[in-house]
Amino acid sequence: MNEIVVVENLIKKFRDVVAVDGISFTIRRGEIFALLGPNGAGKTTTIHVIATLLKPTFGRVLVGGYEVTRDPDKVRRKIGIVFQDPSLDNQLTAYDNMYIHGKLYGLKGRELHDKIMELLEFVDLKQYAHKQVKYFSGGMRRRLEVARSLLHEPELLILDEPTIGLDPQSRAKIWDYIRVLKKEHDMTILLTTHYMDEAEELANRIAIMDHGKIIAMGTVEELKAMLGKDVIYLTLDGNAGEFCGKLGFAKNCNVIGENRVELLVDNAPKYLPEIFSIALTNDIGIREVSYRRPTLNEVFLHLTGRELRDSLEETPLPSRRFPHRLRRV
Amino acid sequence: MKMNRDLNALTALVYRQLKRWAVSRSRIISIIIQPLLWIVFLGLGFGAVFSAQNIDPSSIIGDSSIPNYIDPSVVRNMLFKYFTTTFGGVDYITFLVTGMAAMTAFIGSFISGISVIWDKQFGFLRETLVAPASRKIIILGRIIGDSIINTVQSLIIILLALLITNQINPWGIPIALLYIFIMSLGFTGVGVAISLKFSSMEGFQMVINLLTMPLMFLSGVFYPINTMPNWMKAIATINPLTYCVYGTRYWLAGVETGLSFMNPITSLAILTIFMTVFTAIAMISFDKATIEE
Repeated sequence: MNEIVVVENLIKKFRDVVAVDGISFTIRRGEIFALLGPNGAGKTTTIHVIATLLKPTFGRVLVGGYEVTRDPDKVRRKIGIVFQDPSLDNQLTAYDNMYIHGKLYGLKGRELHDKIMELLEFVDLKQYAHKQVKYFSGGMRRRLEVARSLLHEPELLILDEPTIGLDPQSRAKIWDYIRVLKKEHDMTILLTTHYMDEAEELANRIAIMDHGKIIAMGTVEELKAMLGKDVIYLTLDGNAGEFCGKLGFAKNCNVIGENRVELLVDNAPKYLPEIFSIALTNDIGIREVSYRRPTLNEVFLHLTGRELRDSLEETPLPSRRFPHRLRRV
Repeated sequence: MKMNRDLNALTALVYRQLKRWAVSRSRIISIIIQPLLWIVFLGLGFGAVFSAQNIDPSSIIGDSSIPNYIDPSVVRNMLFKYFTTTFGGVDYITFLVTGMAAMTAFIGSFISGISVIWDKQFGFLRETLVAPASRKIIILGRIIGDSIINTVQSLIIILLALLITNQINPWGIPIALLYIFIMSLGFTGVGVAISLKFSSMEGFQMVINLLTMPLMFLSGVFYPINTMPNWMKAIATINPLTYCVYGTRYWLAGVETGLSFMNPITSLAILTIFMTVFTAIAMISFDKATIEE
């Protein structure tokens, strides 16, 4: 069984608001899968359904072969989660936060102690093990939460906006941990983010979500190719305008400056060899070639539009009894 | 296997509540200061009023309504008899202090409702919700942990009371603490069940204040129930705290100021029923509250 998460036609409604509107995707073992989308897209709601905190209104969600509504305990055992909002006990020490988590997951004794120290070392917090969490900075808290979520050796690690509100150093640290987890422990990771660079940097596959729907899914390369506008720059030995006329496949061909041509094509890697052979048969020398792919940012804005996303409640979760709190900065 | 896991989760939450309590000094102090203030101001104030030694019979004898030939020492003796029977054979401060032991735990019980709201706001609740442990067990662990804390706080009050009065029987303390522990489980359950309906501290606190005052005054902590007007007696009868105050007082000072049907055994039975019902309600409503709708 290669797929650890299977989501089929998931719909989640809160009263009349449709937060998630019929999405389907699978996550394979060992990959980093990112849900990318603007605020209010339904990323966090999706994650909370997968984490058994919310029940789907419609659809099927399987984690490690178990259905989230039927075997929530088996699912909970398989996942480790870092919430978008902090979920530590500030009054307690880092060690105690880990200890209580471990006991809730059935660990105990020497084994638990060793595991705690090992993980605190992994996130560079060993020297703060016995300090109260209320004295921790935002970055330290997040690192502690990452360590805590790994304590029971989950098969799937869920990170909801793991680097939101962190300084660049803490951000780089969290990215490092994610890479190490993937590389050395072959961990499957599901993360949500609205940072393009984060998704681009870390994820094997990305699903772009907006208004509760997945509007595009694939590797970074595939997503960029969707936009279908690679730009190729050529510097030629010979008549640029004449050369343009011979490139029938180009969507657009502009002569920019002396001997320079700008080509807009669907897929640059595919057409580059063709350009070379056309140049060869026409005896036109190519002095320089470069092409630029559109950035993920451009893809994202192209797909989701540019209007501002003002939504009142980003995550109306878990039900009105648990009010969404603004992140304390 | 499952039981083992549940036990592990239960002790995790008990541990957490105790640890939190141990590090929050302000909470410990404020919970103990409050009953101490009651003891000092009410105990010393009313204690003097309700004490025959402090009454000068000659000041009331000899005016138009009370004849001269009454012996002042007889009057004092009568008053003394009256006060001691009213307060069940002890002086007022002993009467008050023994009731206050129960009240300390009672007030503490509602504090755990506040901590549930606190955890909602600071996210720790979610951490317990994604854990593969039973939610009923998790909230039970919390209730037990908080009740242990409340009982310890009552014990502190009892130990302080030993300094104030010599009418307390030290051998009765463990049994009295049992009554207090059971009562605390019940009221913590009430507090948790109510707190699940609230997302703000303010709303919860308001409801709790509305509940605490009447329950406190109609439990016999400050004055005996048997001298209350009938409507107050009726409310006191259905107030679980009454039975804890009765039991605590009985085992600590041998005082039996209650309604005719009350005795230590029925009080314990009623408290146990109360505790069972409300911890069950808290467990069920926590289980439900976490699954939306």
